[in-house]
Amino acid sequence: MDIIIKIVAIGLITCLATLIVKPVRSDFAIFIAIAGGLVILFLVLGYLSDVFDIFKDIISATGISSNLYRLLIKIIGIGYLVEFAVGICQDTGNSSLGDKILLGGKIVIMVMALPIVTSILQIIMGLLPS
Amino acid sequence: MGVEIIIKIAAIGLLTAIIGQILKQTGREEISTIATLAGLILVIIMVLNLIGELFTTFNNLFQF
Repeated sequence: MDIIIKIVAIGLITCLATLIVKPVRSDFAIFIAIAGGLVILFLVLGYLSDVFDIFKDIISATGISSNLYRLLIKIIGIGYLVEFAVGICQDTGNSSLGDKILLGGKIVIMVMALPIVTSILQIIMGLLPS
Repeated sequence: MGVEIIIKIAAIGLLTAIIGQILKQTGREEISTIATLAGLILVIIMVLNLIGELFTTFNNLFQF
């Protein structure tokens, strides 16, 4: 409960700081916004590692290969990272550049997910009567 | 690491704006430009450090 108050406070402070600085120097306002977003992200990322530890325990209990689990974690990470970068691009007014980052992230995720698809296909082929 | 960096960037922005105005009033246009540029580079370095820290955190967390 403590963390959400921190996040809200940092968000509001960032908002106010950008509002104060924007009329004086509009190029600095964007840097304040980026820094605020990063600070909030750092606050939350520590908690995410706890969640991943619990996921790891669950996955090892089910007996699914840990390679698939790590692939999944990587895909989640790419998603977060791409979303953050796209947000910055849209804030600075380069929304088309953000779209390209999004496309890149999608393609990388698709390429990384191909082993999962092939393993599913192999399982289905194994189930089919020959 | 925290709210200080936001306040710092805002302070640098306001300070460089004031310094630039004062230097411009006293007729030193080129020094004013350099001061503004220095402030901008300082802030860019701070933000880049933060982004680099984010990438290392991601590397550790998601094992890229």
